[in-house]
Amino acid sequence: MQAEVIDNVKFGIVSPEVVKKLSVVKLNVPDTYNEDGYPIDGGLLDQRLGVIDPGLICKTCGARAKTCPGHFGHIELVRPVIHSEFSKIVYMLLQSTCSACHRILLGNEDVQSLREKSKGIVALEAEELSSEEIAEHKAGETDQKKHAGRSLLKKVRSIKKCPHCSAIQNKIKFSSPTYFYIGDRKLKPDEIRDALAGISNDDLRILGIDPDVSRPEWLVLDALLVPPVNVRPSITLESGERSEDDLTHKLVDIMRINQRLAQNINAGAPQIIIDDLWELLQYHVTAYFNNETSGIPPARHRSGRALKTIAQRLKGKEGRFRYNLSGKRVNYSARTVISVDPYLDIDEVGVPFEIASKLTVPFYVTAWNLEKARELLARTEYPTILNLTSTDGKRKRIIDANREELLKELKAGDILERQLVNGDMVLFNRQPSLHRVSIMAHRVRVLPGKTFRINFCVTPPYNADFDGDEMNLHVPQTLEAQAEAKYLLEVKYQVFSPRDGEAIITNNEDGITGMYFLTQDDTRLTKEEATYILGIAGIYELPAPTKDGTYKGKDIFSLLLPKGLSLDIKTSLGPLRIVDGKLIEGVITKDTYGKGNNKLLLKIGMDYGEDALKDFLFTSSKLSDAYVTFSGITVGVKEYMTDNAIEKARQELLEATFKQVDDKIQQYKARKLESLIGYTKRASLERMIIVDLNIAREKAGEVLIKHVSSKNSAMQMARAGSRGSIFQYEQMSMFLGQQATLSGGRIKRGYYTKRVLPHINPGDVRPSARGFVRTNYYTGLSPIDIFMHAVGSRGSEVYKALLTARSGYLYRRLSNALQDLYVESDLSVRDTGNNLIQTIYGGDGISSINTQFMKLAAKADK
Amino acid sequence: MVNKSDHEIIPVHEILKLKEVNELLESKGITLENIPKIFESDPQCQKLGAKPGHVLKIQRNDGGNRYLYYRVVVEG
Repeated sequence: MQAEVIDNVKFGIVSPEVVKKLSVVKLNVPDTYNEDGYPIDGGLLDQRLGVIDPGLICKTCGARAKTCPGHFGHIELVRPVIHSEFSKIVYMLLQSTCSACHRILLGNEDVQSLREKSKGIVALEAEELSSEEIAEHKAGETDQKKHAGRSLLKKVRSIKKCPHCSAIQNKIKFSSPTYFYIGDRKLKPDEIRDALAGISNDDLRILGIDPDVSRPEWLVLDALLVPPVNVRPSITLESGERSEDDLTHKLVDIMRINQRLAQNINAGAPQIIIDDLWELLQYHVTAYFNNETSGIPPARHRSGRALKTIAQRLKGKEGRFRYNLSGKRVNYSARTVISVDPYLDIDEVGVPFEIASKLTVPFYVTAWNLEKARELLARTEYPTILNLTSTDGKRKRIIDANREELLKELKAGDILERQLVNGDMVLFNRQPSLHRVSIMAHRVRVLPGKTFRINFCVTPPYNADFDGDEMNLHVPQTLEAQAEAKYLLEVKYQVFSPRDGEAIITNNEDGITGMYFLTQDDTRLTKEEATYILGIAGIYELPAPTKDGTYKGKDIFSLLLPKGLSLDIKTSLGPLRIVDGKLIEGVITKDTYGKGNNKLLLKIGMDYGEDALKDFLFTSSKLSDAYVTFSGITVGVKEYMTDNAIEKARQELLEATFKQVDDKIQQYKARKLESLIGYTKRASLERMIIVDLNIAREKAGEVLIKHVSSKNSAMQMARAGSRGSIFQYEQMSMFLGQQATLSGGRIKRGYYTKRVLPHINPGDVRPSARGFVRTNYYTGLSPIDIFMHAVGSRGSEVYKALLTARSGYLYRRLSNALQDLYVESDLSVRDTGNNLIQTIYGGDGISSINTQFMKLAAKADK
Repeated sequence: MVNKSDHEIIPVHEILKLKEVNELLESKGITLENIPKIFESDPQCQKLGAKPGHVLKIQRNDGGNRYLYYRVVVEG
């Protein structure tokens, strides 16, 4: 059979004829099994509907349970019912057509203009227009159609008399789900069907319905299609009792009422009884389609649980679409909690033995590796072969009982499935997978324990931490996939972020503190100390000792650097000079070693390649961790204690600032304040105050740097850039400063008369009245300060929540829209349809990942 | 009245000759369908008198990067 390309799909309504054509059996017994436990002929599990019990043969197709696709049956309803899911369309049709002549309740001119406007594809095709003309219509179509339909309904509602046959139109009332009234008289489904059947095909097209596939009278059901048993399998409980599917239960209900209705009609029962049963039948059919239809009580199981009928199977998060179709599960994957292991290389992943012994990698047996394959297959201890797929496509599980036999039959072309071993390339992923480095290839290291383990340096690209995060692991199965993982996705190729080319896989936090300590000018280590930390890092040489037999920290650091590396840069803590692989001047901080625009890693990466860089990262992180563990660092309340000098400086700073502000306020009141360009006097004052207060904050940082000992741990971490900042120190030891609102201005309202709190005079613009907090966390906040702080905190919390939600969704849409674009070898951007998106990537052909390299190279050239 | 299509921030548009179009399609290994579209009613098409099927060469200048862009004129 040749594969055909689908060029369009059209949805329509199933007609009674189609129901009868699809159906293989008319069902008339409202039951499932007889006393012998055998499916009743004409019952809901009639064997002509297909079979699900293994061993039985389908009476329609003759196939067994596994191969029989199932066959539809049908129930003939003795009285028609309305399809509840379409009752709104039925209502629209009844409203817009005449009750007597069934034509659209509009004059000929109106109809004609509508016809022009709403010419759908259907109509155009009917007129045999060329495809270009149809395409032209398509563009503006949807808008116009919607518009036509809406204005039509509006117009029609006010019409009292049919313009064609002059029949008086009575208002039709609709009560969901399926009741229609004219005045007090209820419209029966057969009346409605007659009305719908009377609408002409031309009129339907105007109303946006394609009569070829959806005649409206088909919305009133005579025959109900019964899905095959595969769709609603019954379950045999342990007790031998059979439990039927919810759909079967509902169908039994429908058939029971249908049968009772038939009996009553035949017996000539009074109309009231027939109508009641008819309504009951309508209810059951409605519930069968959607048991959550508004206006009907949901049909319940004996236990009180609402039945899951057709709509419930498809709808929502746990429905067929989102759960089963979009949410496919994946084989050869594992998921568990992650934790750290600084002794794993940055491109390794620690895999629990339990997982490694279940995941498999295919081993393709060839004439050249037959010996090796035999050796593997013969193994009874890890790593063993779990499965064997022979050339005839049969897959067998290897157990001790069949190993010997299969060993004899092993031949080239067989595929063995081997347990995961050290060194296998696997893909490692943490959701949300927002950028390409959310999935990277790691080398397997089988370890005891139950968690995946990764080096601390690779947490930033995954945005992972170890407070319970879980990650997924996938084993590439084909050789192509394994090669792709190894040469495109491996961690060592991902050190620099694809976003801006800045280092993203780096040492962090304590790792930076360690380097900062180690590379201080006065760091000296004894031979014992030096060998200890170097041993941990796996370096088995010592630098030249100083005169007194000790070793300089900088010299020890230099052992990590590749030979011949030279770097001369400025950092926030002065110049940093590396000459010929030796650190001569400067200390290592986040600027040179951590995340971000990091010249040291960039230089190593550019001049020595990814292997040297990976090696540097791993070795240096071990060394750094060893040294920081050895030297120790601790932060407590003690670090933030203020002495008299700091307290005095704080007071002076605040007083001076407040005085400055007060002067400005006086000037303003005396109308002597000169306004800033583009601002009113009042706005100028406000801006000047904000500037003064910001300056105060900056000064507070300077005060701290001046007064706090450089040995203070918190200060050291802030300088090294490993954790915390001067600003946070300020908040704890100086003052919190200005609390801002969402709009960026100072807090100025809240209480009902233009002030923040009743304790503040209206019109007070001094810092303390507008959310400037002069106290700090260490000494504690005054009540008003606490309030101001709470206002600010709440504001920023709300802002953060809104921002992340919005930007997250925006990013998701963007990345989904762009995900299949790629750069062709001529640097043009294409999509999967080979459409030209850009003639040159980004307009300049520059890959962001290399931009930092470019800058560094350009600098070197100068 | 200022003619907006002559404004300096509008990149230069010109109609490609048939030979040039063929060369372009061949060099990129694509068909006309794969080129971004521009409506015939676009001011630039109006100005140049471009008709459906014509290919416009657009000399873009984004932040100092000069590069070419192509659009095929379609009805609309």
